[in-house]
Amino acid sequence: MPNNKGTLQIRNLSKSFIVDNNPLQILNDINLTVHSGAFVTIVGSSGCGKTTLLRIMLGLENHYTGEALIDGKQIIGPGSDRGIVFQDHRLLPWLTVGENVAFGLDKLKRKEKKLLVDEHLKLVGLNGFESAYPSQLSGGMAQRVAIARALASKPEILLLDEPLGALDALTRMYMQQELERLWLLEKITMIMVTHDIDEAIYLSDKVVIMSSRPGVIKKIIDVPLSRPRDRASSDFTRIKAEILEEFHLGTEYPFAYAI
Amino acid sequence: MSKKFIQRLGLKDKLLALIVPLLVLAAWQGAVSQKLCSDLILTPPLTLLNTLVELAQSGDLTLNILASLKRVMIGFLLGGTSGFVLGILMALSPFLNSIFGPLIKALQQVPEFAWMPLIIMFLGIDESAKYFFVAIGAFYPMVLNTYQGVSGVPEKYHELARVFDYKSFRYLFKVIIPSALPSIITGIRLSLGLSWMFVVGAELFGSDSGVGYLMTWGRAVFQIDLVMAGLILVGVIGFAMNVLLEIAEKRFLLWREPVDGRPV
Repeated sequence: MPNNKGTLQIRNLSKSFIVDNNPLQILNDINLTVHSGAFVTIVGSSGCGKTTLLRIMLGLENHYTGEALIDGKQIIGPGSDRGIVFQDHRLLPWLTVGENVAFGLDKLKRKEKKLLVDEHLKLVGLNGFESAYPSQLSGGMAQRVAIARALASKPEILLLDEPLGALDALTRMYMQQELERLWLLEKITMIMVTHDIDEAIYLSDKVVIMSSRPGVIKKIIDVPLSRPRDRASSDFTRIKAEILEEFHLGTEYPFAYAI
Repeated sequence: MSKKFIQRLGLKDKLLALIVPLLVLAAWQGAVSQKLCSDLILTPPLTLLNTLVELAQSGDLTLNILASLKRVMIGFLLGGTSGFVLGILMALSPFLNSIFGPLIKALQQVPEFAWMPLIIMFLGIDESAKYFFVAIGAFYPMVLNTYQGVSGVPEKYHELARVFDYKSFRYLFKVIIPSALPSIITGIRLSLGLSWMFVVGAELFGSDSGVGYLMTWGRAVFQIDLVMAGLILVGVIGFAMNVLLEIAEKRFLLWREPVDGRPV
């Protein structure tokens, strides 16, 4: 199914918060286009406004200047065309896994709901867990349920706010593979905020580098590597060095070998 | 019964809890048998048991317990429901909170029994006065705990509701109330406990039925065993209500406890 939906455009967007009666510029003149079906990652140190930018895309932040458009239409609030996975899984503890996945499907009939829940639990490899409670799941499992919940309402764009930030290193790498698999399968736009550069290179077509005070886009780096990507390949390392350079963390001899 | 089984049921703790009451009963029976104290003043436990059995056989026991329970239920439903609704409204509307919050805090300082003269003046001493008296007692814990629970719903759940477009009643029943449920259930427990205390209080003031009436009647005709039987009944029934609510609470709040990975 050719699908051109899920294009995001940000034009001349600036935002400031009022802190102690003084305006504090959070985002300054952001321009970004994410094409339909792309995987784009936003990286930056904490306080660079990357999460605020994602919240604007989600529709939770409203007061800003400039434009934020989805498929050419101004974002005026959250909508079912966008899904979100937060850093904390944010499952409702009093609902079972199945009920949590169905949370965004409240308007559907019971039967349709059940089909979608089954389909998406299977998609994230958690079929058989629908009657478990979130408190019984590990962090990685809970985050997979959160991804299933976001995907169940069939969004055009999936927004991910450091979704793997709270997981241990191995689970994290495994979940990165899972995210890639889901992205290839669902063919939707994914926009992820992270502070993990390896994760960004592993997953995205484009890495957006932001710097702070005020938050600006410093550089957008293309990642033209074929998938699945080898985290140890020289191309991977070269791109990583290029990104680190932007944070003034580059080494003089990135290809030095330890003997 | 194996040791393990006893441990699992928590029977050990329950048996330990019985030690002091049993010792007191034994000393009490001993004191009366040894004529250390007149059995007109201190009815021996065995006589007390006899009185309770007689009350049960004559049907007086059931009748009076039911009369008290009916008052508790009606009063609790009146006071508890209005506390619940007002608690939610106050937590969701800063405006209503500013209007009612200070008022409730001020009125709460009035001892429950200080309402009695006023209630009797307005409602007399018939059933509605007792319902009202119980309702006042049931109201405070419910309004305060509901308010606390609903205002404590984490911002992240409010955000989630916005993302998934939950509004008005759907928002209230699917997100706010479940999130506040632990606090609301605490409110129900305190509220029902106070209702039970106050119904007995109300019956002491003027009544022709109920556990409290049994006790005033016993005092009037100098039947100490009746007074003491009433005391025991009040304690046992209050305790039973609390146990039942604890069981219900565990059922409702199953999700709070991780159940070591076993699917529920």
